[in-house]
Amino acid sequence: MLDSLSHLMLAFTDVATPENLLLIFVAGLIGTLVGALPGLGPSAGIALMMPLTFGMNPISGLSLLTGVYMGTMYGGRLTAILINTPGDAPAIVTAMEGYPMMQKGQGGQALGISAIASFVGGIFGLLMLIFFAPIIAEYAIFLGPPEYFMLMLLGLSMIIVLAGSDPLKALIATAAGVLLSTIGSDYVSGNVRFAVVPELIEGVDFVAVIIGLFGIGEVLVNVEERIRLNMGKPKFKFSEFIPGWAELRHISFPTLRGSVIGTAIGVLPGAGATIATFIAYITEKKLSRQPDNFGKGASEGLASPEAANNAAVPGSLIPLLTLGIPGSGGTAIMLGALIMFGLNPGPMLMIQSADIVWGTIAGLTIANLFLLASNILLIPVFVNALRLIQNHLNAIVVAFCLVGAFSINYGTFDVWITAIFGIIGYLMKRSNYPTGPFILALVLAPLAENYLRQSIMLGQGSWGIFVQKPLTMTFTILVLGVVAFGLAKAPFTSYLRKKRLQAA
Amino acid sequence: MFSKSLKTAAVFSALVVAAILPVKAADFPTRGIEFVAGYGPGGGHDTMLRSMAKIIRETKLVDASINVVNKPGGGGATSLGYLSSHAGDGHYLMAATSSFITTPLTADVGLSYKDFTPIARLGIDPTLLVVPSSSPIKSLDDIKNAGRVLNVAGGGRGQIEHIATIMVSEAMGVKLNFIPFQGDGEVASALLGGQVDFAMINPGAVSEFIKSGRMTAIAISTEERAEMFPDVPTFKEKGYDVVASVFRGVVAAKDIPAEAKAYLTDLVERLQATPEWKTQYLQPNGIIAGYLDADAFAAYLEQTNNIYQTNLSNLGLLKKN
Repeated sequence: MLDSLSHLMLAFTDVATPENLLLIFVAGLIGTLVGALPGLGPSAGIALMMPLTFGMNPISGLSLLTGVYMGTMYGGRLTAILINTPGDAPAIVTAMEGYPMMQKGQGGQALGISAIASFVGGIFGLLMLIFFAPIIAEYAIFLGPPEYFMLMLLGLSMIIVLAGSDPLKALIATAAGVLLSTIGSDYVSGNVRFAVVPELIEGVDFVAVIIGLFGIGEVLVNVEERIRLNMGKPKFKFSEFIPGWAELRHISFPTLRGSVIGTAIGVLPGAGATIATFIAYITEKKLSRQPDNFGKGASEGLASPEAANNAAVPGSLIPLLTLGIPGSGGTAIMLGALIMFGLNPGPMLMIQSADIVWGTIAGLTIANLFLLASNILLIPVFVNALRLIQNHLNAIVVAFCLVGAFSINYGTFDVWITAIFGIIGYLMKRSNYPTGPFILALVLAPLAENYLRQSIMLGQGSWGIFVQKPLTMTFTILVLGVVAFGLAKAPFTSYLRKKRLQAA
Repeated sequence: MFSKSLKTAAVFSALVVAAILPVKAADFPTRGIEFVAGYGPGGGHDTMLRSMAKIIRETKLVDASINVVNKPGGGGATSLGYLSSHAGDGHYLMAATSSFITTPLTADVGLSYKDFTPIARLGIDPTLLVVPSSSPIKSLDDIKNAGRVLNVAGGGRGQIEHIATIMVSEAMGVKLNFIPFQGDGEVASALLGGQVDFAMINPGAVSEFIKSGRMTAIAISTEERAEMFPDVPTFKEKGYDVVASVFRGVVAAKDIPAEAKAYLTDLVERLQATPEWKTQYLQPNGIIAGYLDADAFAAYLEQTNNIYQTNLSNLGLLKKN
């Protein structure tokens, strides 16, 4: 541990040259912008910046890339809060609480809270990376398909929380999401399912669906109801967007819980930031004394997932740096960058190229500080920019959404997907079908499906695989326990509430 | 409607231009050359083409400007469609890997490998049989005499690792339980975490684990031992006829003028002979050199297509006609 500290201190002196600091600052800003654009997420941001790093020294180049990665996580929340268009899957939950705050005229406050939560999450993840990376990676590797399947089950149980008032409608939305997720090539069976046109071979891109469902769907509702956002006054006082002590105390534990969840789940390959945000959200709602506020702008429901989202970035770097195994789309591209810089990603990386790895970690720490400062200071700019375009907001959001959809694969196919799901989103909102369960099923069902099939195949046909090893059994019991408890508790509490109302 | 007819007109005029080009083909290329990657930035196609472009630029192999474009989507189908829309035009060079064969076989894209002009095969990814170093399995004999059905991790069903596993199982006469994983990272994790008994995987993904002593390679699916792993025996020398690898090559559009084809084949041949190609692309990515010129590559593609057709048909994965 002391060893880590001395490495890190040395690395800070390497990294903290004026050029590098400027580079990291710009990288963070670019990442924020890229993350804010719907459709462009961490993978796209890192891929776009890769050519710029040709010819840089490895530490500067990698700091640039990780800075952009972190920046996209800060940026994803902007459009989610301001215009209800999550730029990427991990920002969906942010929109669920952030946008209602925006509608109530607390947009600045929502941006402030989420920036601080993002910062805390990021720093927490970094501390874990600095001190425990090798240990965490060695343990995480022992989790296999059976444990992942249980985790997906936990994520899917979230549908009950997102269901809203009508469970039947939530069930229909879930089933539709599962159905949509089956399109495309399936690596477990090797079959290509329902690909009526070649563009569907890789399935429907859920980012295109999210942009349509949330962004365009919201615009259509706004146009119909002639909704105008409550922007507050044009002049800002710092107190309006920097949360006060009371608010900070209110979100402190949710933020910490989100940080832990984000790091823990961000480490796991495949699952990553999206599931972490959902699990952080469900945890807060379950723990909250006022669960009814969720969905209407509860700040703890905003802070915790945002912290989780950013803690997942250093989390996902842990398997990459210690084992050379990428756990997300973004880190997969980083793997290519490491090779390009002449490093050998693998179990020896942190030993053979310690200076570069620690330099990158130091760069990421600095990026996080810069991002907090720039994101807080720029809040009035973001909100006032929105005010300026308010009269044309609907048109601009639609334009953003369509450009974002185009940029997913640089083709028009995803633009059509977005447009179609925009209309579906509108219809769902009109007839009170919840969109959350639909998206959750679309994102998680294919993962759950594949992990289940892999598990059964590993067990050579036996379900015993879920209880064979002590570790797997612990996971199975824990997750089934949580799900069963949640299921039992929901009807029970609503029964109690009814009783209390009758008594009153 | 209008834009459609515009598009038709554009395609038509492109065809006319393409038809006229050979007349003054002596000065090919007439503009920059576009390298087409069928997957996004950072993927295998993209990495290969960008390395090629970089080496061509740095060693000044040709004067023509080179631009890498990504046409991701549809398991490579989008790029196939894009290149075939430029039939007759030699200014496009597309990366071709196993998906070039398998996507048209498993899904209805209306094209096949025959609709393109093979230029060269640049390298191969064989399959390594690896175990964790702590495993009781030390040799192919241990696998044969395991006395139980072993679990094997590899890429998706019907992909080369699966086909190689079937070959091993048939050659040894033992039953193996293949479990498909998504991507090399998941396969390596499953092996390190003790989820499976052994893995079939491409060398680039595990060479560092082998060097650091965490994994041991037991056999490689090449004809002869690979330079990268001089101590790893081939399946063949151990008496099992398992030779299987996927390829990394480049193809051009259909019906390109002879001059354009000659230009591209010459460019690629000189490129792969540079020392930079070896040090900057093959070695860091764990790819085995395996250059084949245009004619040999064409024959190889046909042979590879037959192997996949047979195996995918046995697995019931061919597209329904």
